[in-house]
Amino acid sequence: MPLCGLISPSCIYACTRFRVRRTTLLPREEYLRIMRMSIPEVVAHLGRREYGQELTDLAHDFSGAQLIEEAVHRNLAQSFRHAIAIAPGDLQTLTGEYLNRWDIANVMAVLRGTVHGIPRQQIRDLLIPAGEVDSALLDRLLRFTSCEEVLEALQGWRLYPVLAEYYRICGEQGVFARIENELYRQYYAGLLDLGSSGCSGCEELIGYLRFEIDITNMRNLLRLHCAKEACDIATIDRTMIPGGRIPIELFRRLYGIDTEDDFVNAFLATNIVPVLAQAIRELRQDPNFSSFDAAELVWRRWHQRRRPLHEVEVAVTRVRLHQLEALSRRHPFSVLPVLAYLERKRYEVANLRAIVRGKTFDLPPERIWQYIVL
Amino acid sequence: MLVDDIKPTRSGLLLVRRRMALAERIHKLLSMKLDGMMLELVKLTDRTAQKRRELEEKYNRAREMVAVAAMMEGATGVLLAALSVEMYPTYTAGHKNVFGVQLPDLEPVMVKKTLDQRGYGILGTSSVIDDAADAYEDLLEEIIASAELEGGVKRLLDDIERTRRRVNALELRIIPELKEARRFIEDQRDEMERQEWTRLRRIKKIKAKRRTGL
Repeated sequence: MPLCGLISPSCIYACTRFRVRRTTLLPREEYLRIMRMSIPEVVAHLGRREYGQELTDLAHDFSGAQLIEEAVHRNLAQSFRHAIAIAPGDLQTLTGEYLNRWDIANVMAVLRGTVHGIPRQQIRDLLIPAGEVDSALLDRLLRFTSCEEVLEALQGWRLYPVLAEYYRICGEQGVFARIENELYRQYYAGLLDLGSSGCSGCEELIGYLRFEIDITNMRNLLRLHCAKEACDIATIDRTMIPGGRIPIELFRRLYGIDTEDDFVNAFLATNIVPVLAQAIRELRQDPNFSSFDAAELVWRRWHQRRRPLHEVEVAVTRVRLHQLEALSRRHPFSVLPVLAYLERKRYEVANLRAIVRGKTFDLPPERIWQYIVL
Repeated sequence: MLVDDIKPTRSGLLLVRRRMALAERIHKLLSMKLDGMMLELVKLTDRTAQKRRELEEKYNRAREMVAVAAMMEGATGVLLAALSVEMYPTYTAGHKNVFGVQLPDLEPVMVKKTLDQRGYGILGTSSVIDDAADAYEDLLEEIIASAELEGGVKRLLDDIERTRRRVNALELRIIPELKEARRFIEDQRDEMERQEWTRLRRIKKIKAKRRTGL
């Protein structure tokens, strides 16, 4: 698939538009200002920006933090659908594929809601139609009373084959978790396939995706290790996403390691350590924090069977986004500026949500600030 | 049989003495039971207070974890994970016997779950959801443990109250009444004995007078 291989004018135009849209996102100072506001002030402030229309539409049904969350989600969905619409040709295919993760969340919510008999309006409020499965189709899915009907209506969806293959008996214990995991695995496999088409910036995109997969796998391995019950190799295989730089074999080996030296040595060999060390350096303002310190920190959490620190996870996300933006500047007319915009928009919404939810729970501002991705 | 119905006879006295012995034995046993229950109550109250403090800590921790989860995943993400629950937590209710009092014995069922049992996919969620789920599972366990202890304290208090009323009734009403009845019967029997003795003397005198008159 020669995606923007010759850099067509439409591709240049679309990439420029995405770069311009990137500049319209909230800057750091704006977040600092919002942090000092009360919830009603935040609503009023966002109402004067691009979220005004959504806030007005939803003000009848929601209020406070819930109103802001619903409005920013609706705005996110609209922005992403607009992004799919303006991306030309194969760039559109890749953007659609990238946004498929929202469809997975929506489809799983509909299936679970259908099985558990949850009120349809409640499910509707949880859906964020930011992917290819649009609002009209989601509304239609919500009208069905059985999973078979939902599956039948989803036959045109990219990931339908996975759904059909792994779906056995609707309502069987644990089947949805398995389907969900498999959908995400297939999602990354599809993205890597598209990325290997040789387009401009695709090599970097694959590198970025593979790094994201490694981070996700390592995080999930820590989660599995923290669980009170020991998991078997089959569970690790089912949970790890293939295609990353770190082979799944290494994750299997890491899971069984019980000594510090072995763990630190194995972990230092991965590409996660430099990014983790950089993230912690920035988080703690400690320029002397080395890769070895980072590996030891992970070992301590691993040994104590504790999950990763949320602040560190957020810091790693910050570094990851900065890397993506650096890549997008290096390849200005490729798929990377599009993805950089989509990710930034996603985290703008996450930041606003974190601020208002943090304020609702009366968390101190410095604690809320740790969860902001800038 | 009421104390008033007892006749001032030897059999009545024996009956009162038997009832008196029984009442005193019951009083002693109930007093010992009351003391034992009081000791158990003190122990149980301490444990209940401790559990209540732990419950408050766990509640605060759960609130904090759900706040972080709502911040990172949004209320939507938290609700979506909550919707995935396939096995609802519950408990089995049994009883344990302490000094004849049936104290509740609650056992949590499917409260602590493994990652697989929670129903959400690992790839679609993050560790904040695990932390929130863990915190709420701990909270639920603590609520069940706390409910068991508080229910035990309540039942023990009810039984202490009932036993105390019985002890008081024995001590302040039944035993004094029986003592009164015994004294009354003894007095009556003494009186009857004196009357009999006087009657016999009088008959003896009459008989002696008749003999001298002949």
